[in-house]
Amino acid sequence: MLSEDHRDCLQEISNVAMGQAGDHLARLLDAFVILSIPHVAILSPSEIAMAVQTVDDQNVSGVCQGFIGGGISGESMLLFNDTSFIDLAKLMGYEDEVSATAEKEVLIDATNILVGALLRGIAEQMDIEFSFGPPAILGQHQELDKLLSSKHVRWNQALVIEVGYQIENYDVQCDLLVVITERSLHYLLNKLNYLLG
Amino acid sequence: MSEEPESQAFLNDFRWIMDVVQNVDVGLVLLDKDYKVHLWNSFMQNHSATAAEEVIGHSLFDLFPEIDEKWFRRKVQSVYVLKNSAFTTWEQRPYLFRFDNYRPITGKAEFMYQNSTFIPIQGLDGSTDSICVIIYDVTEQAINNIELEKVNETLEYISKTDGLTGLLNRKTWENLLEKEYERESRYHENCSLIMFDIDHFKKVNDNYGHPAGDEVIRQTADIIRHSIRKTDIAGRYGGEEYVILLPHTPIDSAYVLAERIRKKIAAKPACYEDQVINYTVSLGVAAFDPSLKSPTNWIDFADQALYQSKQAGRNATNIYQYPEKPVEEG
Repeated sequence: MLSEDHRDCLQEISNVAMGQAGDHLARLLDAFVILSIPHVAILSPSEIAMAVQTVDDQNVSGVCQGFIGGGISGESMLLFNDTSFIDLAKLMGYEDEVSATAEKEVLIDATNILVGALLRGIAEQMDIEFSFGPPAILGQHQELDKLLSSKHVRWNQALVIEVGYQIENYDVQCDLLVVITERSLHYLLNKLNYLLG
Repeated sequence: MSEEPESQAFLNDFRWIMDVVQNVDVGLVLLDKDYKVHLWNSFMQNHSATAAEEVIGHSLFDLFPEIDEKWFRRKVQSVYVLKNSAFTTWEQRPYLFRFDNYRPITGKAEFMYQNSTFIPIQGLDGSTDSICVIIYDVTEQAINNIELEKVNETLEYISKTDGLTGLLNRKTWENLLEKEYERESRYHENCSLIMFDIDHFKKVNDNYGHPAGDEVIRQTADIIRHSIRKTDIAGRYGGEEYVILLPHTPIDSAYVLAERIRKKIAAKPACYEDQVINYTVSLGVAAFDPSLKSPTNWIDFADQALYQSKQAGRNATNIYQYPEKPVEEG
């Protein structure tokens, strides 16, 4: 489904996008963002949990955000360690005690920012533009397996880009999974072929 | 037919776009870097009851003090820096602009629930110099969700509690007991269990009728509710049987509570219609002990202590005595 060349190319695109994302995030959040090397793989729904590297499997919150454009569509999912929460709120500029509603807002804002920064970089290199839907909370304070066990999954395999985020001087660990649907793979490969020359 | 001059075509295009912008059924607000309004379409005019000329050129925060300025600036800042849309949904904040409900018949909410999207707008030089805020009316969806949540809460309450007394039903209580038992098995903290039933309940039913019996069961539950702490877990175990799980409670304190409940009940007859019904309860108390084999085993021991109270003439409390542990030598 995905040749070595395609995989390398996509990994390189993600790498470049993350460099830019890190720079944008540093300016916005006034903090240094440490990004792991992105992993690109074709996975089945049951393998997704295994792709998650940065957060542990207990007490996780997850937020999803759909994107579509240039024939390519998918959903990104950001997973936060619950232990990161206080620092995450601080990072997002919430100084006061965080209420349950504010907690949701912090998760959603952080997702929008972290996901947007990366996907924008990817889209730019492929010369397309994504539109984004509003982020939606998948679940809070759950075990990872429980959070990911969706009964509504209607795909067998998907292209997954996984990136781990850590933020310097903050105890924030999160994992970003960009899941690109089987249906858009054809368009994506065309774009990659063009880039590969 | 003569061909339209280019400028005419441009003006026509512009007119169409402006018509669409004005009439589209979402709110559109264009803001410059100083948060001054540059576009205020019909949706915004109509719902806020302000004309475009009252708003355009003025600072958004002066016009709409309901907007949390600090929060709004932070949101917009991310749009400028990342050149990326930002969102807020009704679940985080019910609305951005407070628009009162305008439909007297079908409007179920007090105000319009809104989702908003903030999108970056590029100037002629390519840099992002303003943002557009799109306001969606999601009142219907929000109200449906809120109602659904309320129904789910009610259903959950019904499925967990006993209809007559409002105490936890047996199944729910047993689940909680099991959890507490597992915790105790790991941490060996103090935890006690009270089990009791109403003495000669059959006679209450026979002498006063079943509705009176129900009233006795209900009043007993009320007395329990008023006697226990928030962390205690009370349930209706069977017909006239009750259980109370007391986390972080040594057996002596559990005994004190059991006695308090016993005395309260003995002192306060139940009233049903004009009948005054004196009744008593017999109680058994059992502490958690590492020698327990299962939650059922624990309940059994409390039940044995309860049986002793019955044997001793009822209206009494007994503590289950674990056999003395042999003293280890060496």
